[in-house]
Amino acid sequence: MQIILRRFFLFLLILSFYSPGLVAADETNESNGSPIDVMGKVLDHDYIEVAGKKIYLPRIFLAGGQFYFYANTESALASGDFIVENERIMRADGPSVTIDFSITSHLMYVWFGILLTFFITWLAARRYRNGLGSETEPRGVWQNLFEVFFVFIRDDIAKEYIPGDKYHKYVNYLFSIFMAISFMNLFGLFPWGVSPTADLTVTATLAAMTFFITQFSGTKDHWEHVFMFPGVHPLVRIILTPVEIIGLFTKPFALAIRLFANMLSGKIMIVAILGLIFIFTDMFGAYIGVGSGIVWVALTALLYVLKAFIALLQAYIFTLLSAVFIGMAAEEHHHDEHDSSVARTANVNV
Amino acid sequence: MMYFLNGGGGLLSFDTGFAIWVLISMLVFIWGMGKYAVPHIVKALDDREKRIKQSLESAEQALAKAEKISKENEKAMREAEVKAQQIRKEAIEEAELLRADRIEKAREEASKVLQDAKDAIEQEKQRALIELRHEVADLAVKAASIIIDSELDKDKNQKIVEKYISNLSKN
Repeated sequence: MQIILRRFFLFLLILSFYSPGLVAADETNESNGSPIDVMGKVLDHDYIEVAGKKIYLPRIFLAGGQFYFYANTESALASGDFIVENERIMRADGPSVTIDFSITSHLMYVWFGILLTFFITWLAARRYRNGLGSETEPRGVWQNLFEVFFVFIRDDIAKEYIPGDKYHKYVNYLFSIFMAISFMNLFGLFPWGVSPTADLTVTATLAAMTFFITQFSGTKDHWEHVFMFPGVHPLVRIILTPVEIIGLFTKPFALAIRLFANMLSGKIMIVAILGLIFIFTDMFGAYIGVGSGIVWVALTALLYVLKAFIALLQAYIFTLLSAVFIGMAAEEHHHDEHDSSVARTANVNV
Repeated sequence: MMYFLNGGGGLLSFDTGFAIWVLISMLVFIWGMGKYAVPHIVKALDDREKRIKQSLESAEQALAKAEKISKENEKAMREAEVKAQQIRKEAIEEAELLRADRIEKAREEASKVLQDAKDAIEQEKQRALIELRHEVADLAVKAASIIIDSELDKDKNQKIVEKYISNLSKN
């Protein structure tokens, strides 16, 4: 306790000698216009930042039925084939870019996330294949930690919500997206890191994958319940069938929006709260701005803890709901005895 | 600001090129996971669980077996004890019977010996009495004959004395 108090007062002492006026003067000279660029932190970029340095990423355009490859945006513009018009990149001779396949910062972090997941899982798999964990108990912190997550996904998500023996097929998918989304979410906590899941495109693609898997694993029974409604008056079907069909699409839509909004909001919150330092500097002068920084930094630290929790929570929710949707589609109801009993005996034989 | 210059999506816009990249990446990723990583882990965990389950089951079976054996042993022991007790009881009874028998026999023998002795004594007594009677008669006669040797007829006197003595013994 004494040490903590001493450090705190030492920190205050250093802070009192620190002259924010000088530093703030530099800052304000550098940035023109708004003191802090919230959107710039949130949006996708054509570069990734590593330790404050920008590394520009390749640009790939499909324009006018032809692919163009450039090392970065600058070289694309320098080549003379592409110009900037109305804040968009256009081909110099007219047609706009049909599809922009550029490697962006979000894409890089998607790749980091999946590569990290694959690497970790592959390492763990090698360990298990060597007999460590399969013939003996799992050893070491990392293997145990890995197993906690893996067994959790397998038993508490896949086995719990996907009926029968069908869950075996989905363990891979659920575990992969859980780990990948977790890492993507957590990357946003690094100083120059970006959460690709704070991008609607990424979450929508993930949700679309869940959507297609759900539809392809739908049983005859599931479709019957979507379109036919056995045992329901025909006139009621006029209302129920559209509702069910809309329901098919709202589920993955909600998945996408939930993950996206959660990750984006956390990020905007942190940038905005830290940005208050600069806004206060603009409004009340450098001393108040930097002085109030203690409050904003403390608040940000709290938000970081919350964000770390939310990163795992949202990955869990996404995975859980994917499992629930797949389970709902794959469920065999009791009234068609023939199909399910055959399926069950087939499973038992396997 | 030139957001769209950067490539990728805007804040709320969906970018097709980016989505295709993500989709391809994810598909390759999930395929790779499904081929090289996850099945090995699933198999290892299943194997381990199966082994644990089997060993638990076999342990349970062994326990049940041991319990059964010990129960059987206990039962056998109890039966043996009961039998032993019964045998002991029977032995005691038999011994008791035997003892009583022997005592009876001994008593009988003793009484018989006693009776024999009594009989013998009685006989001896009778014989002694008779002998005594003869002796006494002889003595009396001798005495009398000494006393009245000359006066009386020996035969006549003998008769009188014997008659008297026999009357005496009858009384």
